[in-house]
Amino acid sequence: MSHAPQKQNPAFYAVIGLLVFMSVGPVLLMFVNSFKLDVDILSGTSGLLFFPTIQNYETALCDILWYEPDHLRFCQLKFGGAFINSLVIAIISTVLTLVLGAMAAYGLVRFRFMGRDTVSTTTLLVRMVPPAVLLVPVFGLWNNQFCLDQDGFLGGWIKDMFGGRGDPCLAGTHSGIILIYVAMNLPFVIWILQSFIVQVPRSLEEAARVDGAGPFQVFFKVVLPLIKPGLAAAAIFTFRIAWNEYLLASALSDRDTKTVPILIVNNMSEFNVEWGVIMATGMLLAIPPIIFTLLASRQIITGMTAGAVKG
Amino acid sequence: MLKTITYASFGAALMATTAFANPYADYEGTTLIVNFPAHPHYDAVMQILPEFTAQTGIEVEVDQLPYLAMRERQTLELGQDEGEYDLIAYVVFSKADYVYADQLENLAKYFMNPRLANPSYDADDLIDGYVYNIGFAGGERGYLEGKTGSLFGIPYGSETSVLGYRKDIFEKHGLEVPETYEEMLELACQIPELEPGMGGLASRAASGHHAAHAFLLHLNPMGGAIFDENWEPVMNSAEGVAAAEALKQIVDCGPEGAVNFGFGEALGAFLNGDTAMYLDTTVVAGQINDPERSQVVDKVGWALHPMGSERASQTGGFGIGIPANAENKEAAFLLMQWLTSKEGDKLVALAGGNPSRFSTHADVDVNAAFPHMATFGEALQYADPDWRPIIPTWGRVNADLGTTLSEVLTQDLDIQEALDGVAERARATMDEAGYYTWQ
Amino acid sequence: MSDITAATGMNQPRPTVRKARRLANRLSPYAFVGPAIIVLFIALIIPLGYMIYGSMLDWTASQSIGEADFIGLKNYTDLWNDPRFMKSVSVTLRFAFIVVVVELLIGVGLALLLDRDIKGMTFLRTMFILPMMIAPVVVGLMWRFMYHPTDGTFNRLLEKMDLPTVDWLGQHALMSVIIADIWQWTPFIFILALAALQSLPRSALEAARIDGATAWQQIIYIKLPLMMPVLIVTALLRLIDAFKVLEVILVLTNGGPGQETQILSHRINETMTEVRHLGEAAAMANYLLILLMALTLGMLAFNNWQEKRAARIRAAAEEDV
Repeated sequence: MSHAPQKQNPAFYAVIGLLVFMSVGPVLLMFVNSFKLDVDILSGTSGLLFFPTIQNYETALCDILWYEPDHLRFCQLKFGGAFINSLVIAIISTVLTLVLGAMAAYGLVRFRFMGRDTVSTTTLLVRMVPPAVLLVPVFGLWNNQFCLDQDGFLGGWIKDMFGGRGDPCLAGTHSGIILIYVAMNLPFVIWILQSFIVQVPRSLEEAARVDGAGPFQVFFKVVLPLIKPGLAAAAIFTFRIAWNEYLLASALSDRDTKTVPILIVNNMSEFNVEWGVIMATGMLLAIPPIIFTLLASRQIITGMTAGAVKG
Repeated sequence: MLKTITYASFGAALMATTAFANPYADYEGTTLIVNFPAHPHYDAVMQILPEFTAQTGIEVEVDQLPYLAMRERQTLELGQDEGEYDLIAYVVFSKADYVYADQLENLAKYFMNPRLANPSYDADDLIDGYVYNIGFAGGERGYLEGKTGSLFGIPYGSETSVLGYRKDIFEKHGLEVPETYEEMLELACQIPELEPGMGGLASRAASGHHAAHAFLLHLNPMGGAIFDENWEPVMNSAEGVAAAEALKQIVDCGPEGAVNFGFGEALGAFLNGDTAMYLDTTVVAGQINDPERSQVVDKVGWALHPMGSERASQTGGFGIGIPANAENKEAAFLLMQWLTSKEGDKLVALAGGNPSRFSTHADVDVNAAFPHMATFGEALQYADPDWRPIIPTWGRVNADLGTTLSEVLTQDLDIQEALDGVAERARATMDEAGYYTWQ
Repeated sequence: MSDITAATGMNQPRPTVRKARRLANRLSPYAFVGPAIIVLFIALIIPLGYMIYGSMLDWTASQSIGEADFIGLKNYTDLWNDPRFMKSVSVTLRFAFIVVVVELLIGVGLALLLDRDIKGMTFLRTMFILPMMIAPVVVGLMWRFMYHPTDGTFNRLLEKMDLPTVDWLGQHALMSVIIADIWQWTPFIFILALAALQSLPRSALEAARIDGATAWQQIIYIKLPLMMPVLIVTALLRLIDAFKVLEVILVLTNGGPGQETQILSHRINETMTEVRHLGEAAAMANYLLILLMALTLGMLAFNNWQEKRAARIRAAAEEDV
């Protein structure tokens, strides 16, 4: 910033304090409640005067704990398994989206396929498609059309390897969910990365070519390292969507591939609204995004502004 | 601890009777994949399944889902050429969809098979209304028993409606337990005056399935129905309007926020002591006496669903059936038979489930553990198998009914007009599905 | 390029290699863009086509698509005459517009107010991002707890202050859902508006200040017009996202009471899972897509026009200096 910092009216600090409180308050509330028993949450003796317990977390994580918590008759919430599914799906789809997206963005910028405006408009149009619109076709296709014949070579092999009944289909597999997440995030990633790739000086690439590097070497060894900030921003956004998404995952997953959001919605079902456990699962789901926010807020802001302000 | 010992002794007794010839021998080591709802009865089932495995050597892997998600999952699995599930628990109203699409096994061939069918099963002991409501299809009206009907599932987790009331509150103010709807509705609005801050009766009312369910609870006792015998919608009759008015009055005099109550919230309000009465399924009894959940332990008395023009309580709950595309159908039948046998029914009742047999309701041990069981058994006699239509178009009619009723509860619509709208749309739906072809 | 390589004398490629490399060079654009296009084709284009075809079928969840009867545009005309569907269209539009307008007002207002050097800014921005990063499902459950009629934070607070409690998710469901969305997404607009403000040409602002423009005049005649292109894109992004909101509503109100908060996405989901009519759900999805497309294109056109105008103003402002 060009001008020197000046003393500001203390009222501004009050405004900032209030805003911070408003945006963090609900999260803190969830955090505190996740350490309370339901009785304490509902009894209304609010505030911080309570006896903290990790019982809610024990209930949530009972399938990966090394001991059996005393208060459970049997382990109903298989949160640990879902957490691993979420991690696998979110990480793989983030990596794939970044690689494919960076390549495409590079190709579009350097080889002038279409004008930048056309690309921006197209990506915006594709980005517009709400997940609910994809629900019916993805559900139908992944379950019925995107299948391999179980008597065929590849289908038979997959069946031998992973088991299951009937023709192996994309639905119910990690790959099925990953595929749709990659597709959903690609337009946005391409859009963001374009604005970073444009800034990479051509001379650097040409120098590498002179040294005999092929187009792919140039891309991986020269361009990618230079757009790291963009990649970081894109990665966080992709991860966020893949990690948080509920609707499509609930339509595509089966009992072995359930992700955490599905588990949370299921657990808020009919028969018992156990606030403590719900808050604990919510907290567990929120932890990775919170960590990202604290560690990489700069990249997140870059990612957010790259799309709109530059582009 | 005590419970485990009881199970163990039961198990030993069962083992003794089956020791000489083991009908399970051929299926030892099989792993059955079953799909059960996340529901108190099936939570009890989860506790007795290890016993089944110990006795038979058949492993059971359970996929537990909330029941609406379960239905969605089943729609998909049953539609495949080969499905994953060997045994499913289905919601009553799914029966129509599954049987119509030929996705459930007809159970006759299993009960005919001397190697599978246990001669001491005693099917007559199963409560009739539920067998007809949950298990039968193809008879009268297409979805109940009758000369042309046959059996596709067995009731497991039979629920009916009962009235729970706070003994302490009723005693304090010298109130009588309501016998009729009039008395109940009057009490429902009297209680908030007597006990400031307390609602009268906890009912579900949230948009959709919940509101429709609450309406149906009152519709039959009022003498109303969804369709007449020619499939003409009649939910907008005077009886229908009376049922909707009753629901509205209950919600208006209910606890704060009642218009948004789903099942969990309504029950939660009662458990928290926010209401003095509760009218819904029997499945809640276990939670009401669980000190971890409930603040009203030992304060709740049970009575029959009050009478309107007649006495009629709901038939709800789940049945278990074998998908036509299952892999291990015979072993699945053995599990099904074991669960619904006299022994299995008693085990699950002792674990806090809802028994489906007359004998279990009369059982001394069960009644000692759960004194309310006698009332529940009596209520079951009034359970009306034709409580709601179980036909493939029900999903659409139910969704519309639920949304409209929620509007009635929140927006002061004219009840007659609103129900006329539902009837008109229901008629169009039925017409399209071909219900008037023969008229 | 290969001439340069030859001239520098290193790794002199033999002719066949050179030919191969030239081919690789010619193909490399496709190799770069191809994989992404294939993925988009399989997972977006085919599904959209499938959906359009499916929307013309009498197709229930128990049938496979091949077994369903073709009924042309019947699903579309049925929906057009279905007041329940129209109601959820109107809920969707109301929700989206209110949310975008209110968030713009608050977000831009805050940005204008806080566009100065205050120590806590970085901290505020970091904390402000938090709501956006958290899963909608979790946002829904947090707010559902806070809105709880008797045990929730808000009503407890109101009770303590002896104020009448509010029936948040009952009588005021749409408002409550909107408040939750405002909480989650106003920071997005704030951060973008702030970035836009800070990238404004300082010279133009200086000039205005020297000319004696008041703070209000600066905002209305210089800052806002110059920010306009960014604000429009921001609004467009928010609008698109507002149509995607489903999970928060699913958890908070499940569309109720009645249809008060039943946005289109919710109705599509309900039609698919409860009514189990896939054909009708596909037709609804198509309507939603058309609606969004119209809005997006409209806003893009408006944006183009605005951008030209902003360029003129910027040029004029800079000329003044």
